[in-house]
Amino acid sequence: MTNIIEAENLTVTFRARGGGSFLFERGSHMINAVDEASFQVKEGETFGLAGETGSGKSTIARVLVGLYKPRSGTVKLLDRKIDFHKKADITYLRRNVGIVFQDPVGSLNPRLKVREILKEALRAAKVFERKEFDNRIETIIERVGLRKSCIEAFPRELSGGEKQRVSVARALVVPKKLLVLDEPTSSLDVSIQAQVLNTLRKLKSELGLSCLFITHDINVIKYVSNSLGILYYGKLVEVGPTYDIVTNPKHPYTVKLMANVPKLTRVERKTETMAEQGPSASGCIYSKVCPQVFDKCTTVPTALQVGKDRLAACHLFDGEKPGLETPPTQTETI
Amino acid sequence: MQIKKGEIIGIVGESGSGKSTLGLAVIGLLDSPPAEILEGKIIFEGTNLLLLDAEQMSSYRGPGIGMVFQESLAALNPVYRTESQLRESIEVFARAKKLALKDTEEHKMMVEILNDLRLDKPEVVMKKYPHELSGGMRQRISIAMAIVEKPRLLILDEVTTGLDVYVQNRILTILKDLNQRTGTTMILITHDLTVASQICDRLYVMYAGRIMEEGKTEAVVKTPIHPYTQKLMAAIPQGFVDAPPLPAPTGEAPDVRRLPPGCKFHPRCPFVMEKCKAEEPNMFQASDGRSFMCWLEEKK
Repeated sequence: MTNIIEAENLTVTFRARGGGSFLFERGSHMINAVDEASFQVKEGETFGLAGETGSGKSTIARVLVGLYKPRSGTVKLLDRKIDFHKKADITYLRRNVGIVFQDPVGSLNPRLKVREILKEALRAAKVFERKEFDNRIETIIERVGLRKSCIEAFPRELSGGEKQRVSVARALVVPKKLLVLDEPTSSLDVSIQAQVLNTLRKLKSELGLSCLFITHDINVIKYVSNSLGILYYGKLVEVGPTYDIVTNPKHPYTVKLMANVPKLTRVERKTETMAEQGPSASGCIYSKVCPQVFDKCTTVPTALQVGKDRLAACHLFDGEKPGLETPPTQTETI
Repeated sequence: MQIKKGEIIGIVGESGSGKSTLGLAVIGLLDSPPAEILEGKIIFEGTNLLLLDAEQMSSYRGPGIGMVFQESLAALNPVYRTESQLRESIEVFARAKKLALKDTEEHKMMVEILNDLRLDKPEVVMKKYPHELSGGMRQRISIAMAIVEKPRLLILDEVTTGLDVYVQNRILTILKDLNQRTGTTMILITHDLTVASQICDRLYVMYAGRIMEEGKTEAVVKTPIHPYTQKLMAAIPQGFVDAPPLPAPTGEAPDVRRLPPGCKFHPRCPFVMEKCKAEEPNMFQASDGRSFMCWLEEKK
């Protein structure tokens, strides 16, 4: 199977404010929002990215449409390496990758009708001739499951679910190879979320789309993705087929994440004694909170093969700690 | 609805079903106009709140009934540090209890409450402005502002919506813990059945301003009776990528200005009958004490 996207050692940094004087930025430091992440999105498949708020999920999404430039690492789109400083490459990226953002209210221009919103996307892409525009708009509106009358509506006249469908229509009005979905359903009701998820799965099979689906909701990501990456403070700690990761998580963080998936039962809640902690500043990023930390964790782990097509960045798996091939499943909440 | 002392009840339903309106009515914060309470009573510890004048009602807010809102960024004053926000609440509490608190006592209360909410480094958090805090931290500050006044009833309106599962879990644990330690009665308003089912003793399922089903959480979640509850349950993503499409309810919650006749759910109901289109169902009782509003019961 061919890869639509191949990201290798992708690193994105931001300058963090705070400390120092504002003129000389003394004390300001760089933060790795995404730190050496490698993953592939295969043709016709959905790759899911899961992680907590601030783990760098959206940063990766924005790199893939050229909104952020990576500091290092490579991104290949259909085997063409993207030079983020070249305008032609950014155009190539945007022509092939569509994006849907989390907040449908903030991402649609309130002063434009749906028709104009979609026309803007068509004009920018310069793929279709002007006389084809209306036809394209009508086709895509129907595809995403909207009433035809929505074309002449302003975003404020639409419900949350309809607005999100317009965002999907805008991303796909010019056919794309990859659709990046950044928390597309987190602002929606459970029932509307289900409808939108159904539509997305239908679109995927009808158009042969590949998707990068970002969410913190494990129930959602497990339902939509073929393979999965787990992010923790910018580090991709585990990558592999969704089923394997969900049913048999390897990395201690993934284990904890899966144990936190909300279930429809009342949970006996233990009082938490430890206040929340951030990432570890040195060594393995998870070592500050990891229940299985040992002496090796003071060095940064590399991604290791932990099964078929599976990688985990954890010292537990480099074979030198006997008897601990699979970390024991942790059932405690939080 | 009846809520016993020390209970946690959940109000679930889609947006526009009237969950928040109900919460705002209880704490007396409905904007009127446009809102107008036509009939009914809200009895809190024996007093009908609807008969109180504005000043009397305001004495109930805070130490009597507290509320936490969904949008923590909008609920907190952007130009106040955490410290000042909390001090405002503590002063309301002190006034109500006729206490004269010293600055050091106030400070101690703040540190205690922030510790209770498992916020790391309370002294640092206290010096921060809302925009400097994460969503989960802000939500906990909003909760702190409400519970520092030691309310006997706490209304929580979508307090975990938009937060990731981790933070969500943490907040639910804190709430349950508070309920067990202090016996605070809680109303948890949410559209997410999984959230509600985790800490609530009983659930009320709302649709178009009506209570469609009420019962013990386990019963409602395991064997939902009302087709609407069944549909809500079906909307929760299950299974993996090869699973069939979700049998979610079609369409959207109705516009309350143009409600259909008969059962308000009938246009979206898979089991709709002629009677449903003409007549609003009665409240029926199931053998396990659950009540629900659906004509299917008569057909049995």
